[in-house]
Amino acid sequence: MSVYSLLIVAHIIGTILGVGGATFAEIFHVRAMRDGTITEEEGATLKICYTVLRIGLALLVLSGFSFLIYYRLTGQEELLYSEKLWAKMTIVFIIPINAILFQIRKIPTWLATAVSLTSWYTALILGIYHDVSHSYLEIIGLYIVAIFVVAFILHRINIHYALLREKKPETNKT
Amino acid sequence: MTILYTSLIVHIIAGLVGVISAFALLIGLLHRVPKIRSLKIWSVITFFSFILSWATGAYYYVLYYGKAVKPVILAGGAPWAHKIVMEAKEHVFLFIPFVAFVIMVGIFAAPDAILGDRPIKKSLAWLSAFVFVLGALIALAGVAISGAARQ
Repeated sequence: MSVYSLLIVAHIIGTILGVGGATFAEIFHVRAMRDGTITEEEGATLKICYTVLRIGLALLVLSGFSFLIYYRLTGQEELLYSEKLWAKMTIVFIIPINAILFQIRKIPTWLATAVSLTSWYTALILGIYHDVSHSYLEIIGLYIVAIFVVAFILHRINIHYALLREKKPETNKT
Repeated sequence: MTILYTSLIVHIIAGLVGVISAFALLIGLLHRVPKIRSLKIWSVITFFSFILSWATGAYYYVLYYGKAVKPVILAGGAPWAHKIVMEAKEHVFLFIPFVAFVIMVGIFAAPDAILGDRPIKKSLAWLSAFVFVLGALIALAGVAISGAARQ
């Protein structure tokens, strides 16, 4: 197996762990919040998801930069000025910044979860599609729009569960 | 040439490990009850990663970059990559290992104060955030400089 193939495998594993971790963190969070509180067991499950997500992020960053070293050492430096690459690096940089802001409660939960989920999926999509002809600003613009679309969808899901929660005591009474 | 390339690879990977461990350190310090053992481990990794990145970066810079890469960048389409980005990077990067050292000493010297949520915990968190953000920006600056060698 060549070095390049190894890097691709590491990069894919990092992305899978990150996207999977972010997706399941959100699913378990929504599920845990159905009754309005997060129990100790649910908290422990969420913690595992965040750990997997962070391992994925570390692997993604290390393998991603290894690609850049590979390009540098094989005389393909022009690839380092690709607008898609810079958009992807910006979005990956936003993931830990978002985690820090969420940890210190400087960003509302609805926005933090939408940013995390959208960032991971955008990085995945940018990694899959090689022929992205959009400029840096266009990609970042679409990414920002996607954050608010995802936030709206998550908001509707939360409202759905909140309504179910309100109906539940009435059902019990009858 | 092999030693030079190895030093470049170690410079980048060790720097990234330093940035990742600074992030882990920051998240650890932001917990209500930080795990001191983890903080100690991450602070040591952060410090030694940056020292390694520093030493190998200096080796590559002195023996190769100045003679072979810098003239290419200055003659290419993005001379600002050296004149502004590299000049800023090489100066800013100088003090990151010192800040990482201060964080490590703080964690080893005052574990009880950190657990007691004293002001030192907040100060160390700020320093870790500073190292993380600056380290990440320096990594991005490195990409811009490497790319300019062909512009």
